[in-house]
Amino acid sequence: MADFTNPKYYTNRELSWLRFNERVLSEAKDASLPFMERLKFLAITSSNLDEFFMVRVASLKDMVHAGYEKKDIAGMTPKQQLAALADALHDFVKEQYRICKDLEQGLYENGIRLIRHHEDLSFEQAEYVDKFFEEKVYPVLTPMAVDSSRPFPLIQNKTLNIGAILSKKGQEKDTDFATVQVPGVLPRLVSLGEENGLQLYIGLEEVIERNIAKLFLNYDVLCSAPYRVMRNADLSIEEEEAEDLLKEIEKQIRKRQWGEAIRLEIEEAADRQLLKILKKNLGVSGEDIYEVPGPLDLSIMMKMYGLPGHDDLKKKPYIPCQVPRLPAGCNIFEEVAKGDVLLSHPYETFDPVVQFIEQAATDPKVLAIKQTLYRVSGNSPIIKALTKAAENGKQVSVLVELKARFDEEHNIVWARMLEQAGCHVIYGLVGLKTHSKITLVVRAEEDGIKRYVHLGTGNYNDATAKLYTDLGLLTCNESIGQDATAVFNMLSGYSEPAGWNKLSVAPLWLKKKLLRLIRREEEHARGGRSAKIIAKMNSLCDPDVIAALYAASEAGVVIKLLVRGICCLKAGLPGVSENIHVRSIVGDYLEHSRIFYFENDMQPEIFLASADWMPRNLERRVELMFPIEDPALREEIIHILDVQFKDNVKSHILQPDGSYKKEEVTGERICCQEIFCEEARAQVKSQKKGKSRVFIPKTHIGQEE
Amino acid sequence: MKTFAALDVGSFELAMKIYEITNRDTLKEIDCVRHHLALGSDSYNTGKIGLSKIDELCRVLKEFRKIMDGYQVSEYKCYGTSAIRETANTMILLDQIKNRTGLTVEVLSNSEQRFLDYKSVAFEGEKFHRILDKGTAIVDIGGGNIQISLFENDTLVTTQSLKLGVLRIHEQLLKMQPSPSKVGLLIEEIADGQISVFKKLFMKDRAVQNLIIMDDYVSSVVKNGAAGEVKDGVMDGNVFHAFTDRLGSSGAEEMADVLSVPEENVPLIYISAKLIERLLLATGASSIWAPGVSLTDGIAYEYAEKKHIKMISHDFEKDILACARNISKRYMGSKKRGETLEEICLSIFDTMKKVHGMGKRQRFLLQLAAILHDCGKFINLTNVGECSYGIIMNTEIIGLSHAEREAVALMVRFNHDPFVYYEELAKNSLVDRETYRVVAKCTAILRVANGLDKSHKDKFKKLHTSLKDDVLYLSADADQDILYEMETFKERAGFFEEVFNIRPQIVQK
Repeated sequence: MADFTNPKYYTNRELSWLRFNERVLSEAKDASLPFMERLKFLAITSSNLDEFFMVRVASLKDMVHAGYEKKDIAGMTPKQQLAALADALHDFVKEQYRICKDLEQGLYENGIRLIRHHEDLSFEQAEYVDKFFEEKVYPVLTPMAVDSSRPFPLIQNKTLNIGAILSKKGQEKDTDFATVQVPGVLPRLVSLGEENGLQLYIGLEEVIERNIAKLFLNYDVLCSAPYRVMRNADLSIEEEEAEDLLKEIEKQIRKRQWGEAIRLEIEEAADRQLLKILKKNLGVSGEDIYEVPGPLDLSIMMKMYGLPGHDDLKKKPYIPCQVPRLPAGCNIFEEVAKGDVLLSHPYETFDPVVQFIEQAATDPKVLAIKQTLYRVSGNSPIIKALTKAAENGKQVSVLVELKARFDEEHNIVWARMLEQAGCHVIYGLVGLKTHSKITLVVRAEEDGIKRYVHLGTGNYNDATAKLYTDLGLLTCNESIGQDATAVFNMLSGYSEPAGWNKLSVAPLWLKKKLLRLIRREEEHARGGRSAKIIAKMNSLCDPDVIAALYAASEAGVVIKLLVRGICCLKAGLPGVSENIHVRSIVGDYLEHSRIFYFENDMQPEIFLASADWMPRNLERRVELMFPIEDPALREEIIHILDVQFKDNVKSHILQPDGSYKKEEVTGERICCQEIFCEEARAQVKSQKKGKSRVFIPKTHIGQEE
Repeated sequence: MKTFAALDVGSFELAMKIYEITNRDTLKEIDCVRHHLALGSDSYNTGKIGLSKIDELCRVLKEFRKIMDGYQVSEYKCYGTSAIRETANTMILLDQIKNRTGLTVEVLSNSEQRFLDYKSVAFEGEKFHRILDKGTAIVDIGGGNIQISLFENDTLVTTQSLKLGVLRIHEQLLKMQPSPSKVGLLIEEIADGQISVFKKLFMKDRAVQNLIIMDDYVSSVVKNGAAGEVKDGVMDGNVFHAFTDRLGSSGAEEMADVLSVPEENVPLIYISAKLIERLLLATGASSIWAPGVSLTDGIAYEYAEKKHIKMISHDFEKDILACARNISKRYMGSKKRGETLEEICLSIFDTMKKVHGMGKRQRFLLQLAAILHDCGKFINLTNVGECSYGIIMNTEIIGLSHAEREAVALMVRFNHDPFVYYEELAKNSLVDRETYRVVAKCTAILRVANGLDKSHKDKFKKLHTSLKDDVLYLSADADQDILYEMETFKERAGFFEEVFNIRPQIVQK
């Protein structure tokens, strides 16, 4: 039997992530999509890449600086990973800008022109731009020059800037560097009106560059170019030493602006001297510099997408449907008391989750509300409801994860707000991120205390619930209620319970349970019994889990995986993973739910979870996995998996060499996300007609495609 | 909705369970919180709970209070056990807790604590009775002591406390700092010294098949199967031996991972497992059952009893009586005489119910006094009262509070010795006025009953008691000469009349 821990059987997680971003980029190339949707995908790859640099590349650089040489799952040292990434990232960016160029052409053909260089402006357009600069832009600019008395200024992370080389009028040999930040308070796109049936736009950075001389009177501007800096944004918080976690995180957020520069983006044609100054002062090396043949920061494409009109070039917006079991205005507690309710977002609305807390806030029978919060929306109705509940005298305990990356600042604000309202706020746990999504409502009913629980695979965020596919369960199952109480007791710092009824909690128990479940399938297969694993997740990179999957595969277990993002497992390797099939679905909605199906010799067990199969989820986070036991709900979930494996529109199949191949439509076109939208609409319609809500699986999960 | 909270301020952790009294008049656990706080390590090590632990204790109890408020708890019971009992500053500590948290902590004597632990196992219902059918020892392992209660034919034979608590041994080991390979042997040496004495004194001719384990350490990992295979909740002795060996030979980190417990708990689990292992060897038991119950379950059971809440009940008074009879037997008391005395006492007690106003529990204490009435003879025939008092006060009778035990001991003492009035008695005893009144009334009954059988010849058969006007008639078919009894009766009737203002009179048919 092969040594399943051999690094050759694994893919490096960073390279795997890059392949995921390539899959997103492939959507931007897909001519079958409504044109404007393609802009959106290009913009997404750009913001994805920003985060990747700030966190992953930064972390690898930290490791290299520290002389850390431990090899990763695929046997690569941090240095080797950086080297491998450097080429791959440059290729990726080239591809982004090649597509960008195509899309700009497409925009032009559809009546929108983005004027790329201010030099291309007509006289009238230039006049308008200059006026716009003087009236709207100039007052908010802060130009900064560098000379012997003024050091190189802090260039803030992710900001767009214009760099220039200046010389005092009449002293051409004596040059200085100056920079000005493109203000984030103004829109990136400046409309120049319509001309010859074309809507004209120019980037704000071009407007500033054109007028930069006005900022440095008595100087000549020898050259200028927009540039952008990316910094190490991975917070390192010494929690054990931090007396007040909240203050420590605030401090670290401020420091984020000062992290090491890890990437410099600059216009392709920028002056060499200017580039040299930036390179030297930012301390970036050659491979960290990205000279791009197009607008910096491709999130500008999201602004283009957001331009008014052009609805014919966009997908018709989908409005999440009512959950048939929970009609508007219903009493959620009464409905849940009748039986478990499965919520499938974004196909079904997130409103019942918000209403669950809103109703609890005003329900006289409710004694307590307990919730974990990781990322919430800007003006979260959940926070409002929790505040209201506390004001109404309910006992409200909220675990706010202050360490949710890039949401730290936001989380601090409303954590304080909750505390002021009288909620008991726990600011996360030392050394662990609380990623679980659980709400417990304790109600004193006629026949005693009853616990209502919501468990989810996604965050309590009403905004992202319209974009991410997630599943949630509303239940008043007594065993789950007891476990939920125990979860919150643990999160409050009390000792672990003697045992769990239904829930599996990371980091203490979940991984072991998963490994047990995988091994059980392996034993079933060895014993000639029916064995199969179907799992859907965002990322798969835990070496123990992958090794267990390899062992199961070799024992004959059929393993079908839906891994949207990083996948360090290699599929289809002879003697290792011949029975493993992996596909990734990248579509309009971000596939986010975690679903695990274990055949268990014809007695399947189905779980939903907040955790991916990654070491960070299984070992360093508080995560929850919960079973789905209601037969009708199990059928629904099996149907979801079934349709996803049949998808031939948005699926990419992992090949043994680690590449992905897009599924080709042969025969009927099956786009799982479209089907789920249709089914949700149909359910509402049939509900209106008085029919019951039960999904009708088209084929059984066991049938081969 | 009515809720009750049971709080345990233990040596190793603070625990609280919230119970709901359901519409069906049953108790249902709705929440359980535990917080690790080794109060015992201060008490057993320095004799006093330190300030930082007191702060932590009060902080957690305040949080418990908030949880209680959340469930709108209307009644609670909060008990402190050996760590609080053994700290030199108990009274100051209790006062601080009251002032800082508003909670009243009552301190349990060892026997009271063990009785509650015992009740918590009985809370398990049917399985408890099934296991008790065979020879069984309940091993209650606390931070400071272990309590071993032997059962034979569903009846409690004896219960003894040994100073072998897990935290106590842990503190000893910390002082000795043995090398890891010696820890196991050292625990064996510490444990075997006391266990062998227990075996010699109480295990002779007794067969123990099962150990019922109660502790904060091993029980959970036995119950959840992490320690090895468990069938119907019961673990085979050999499996347990293998588990103990593994604990001794593996690192704490590895075992913490295997057992899914915090690493710092592993040394305590090992001490507890070694104690159980030594007891398995000493008793010859072949299996263990760890129901995983805690003192808080016992507190709930006690509350349910008091409130007449439905539950699968166990006759604990039967156990206490059996235990008293065994003590009597151990000190060569006369079984037949004890039974006669018991019968007469209870008959008088029942007839006098309206006069003395005492209840069921006092009747039970009188019954115990009758059973133990002559145990002191074993030591000294001329000083029976004092010796009996000493034996009873120094023998663990689980199920009796300290005050109850002293009441029984005083009844027996004053059955033989002149009665000491409260003003005098209070100088050397903590007996309160209410207990004193019970002692006086029961002593009066015991004395009369004893007078009726002074010759120990069981002359008063088929005693009939009746109360008319201010006279208690004791009618019996005495076919023998009762002159001796009549004379001794006169002496004893005086005290009876003084206490009840009722004159007892023998009527011979």
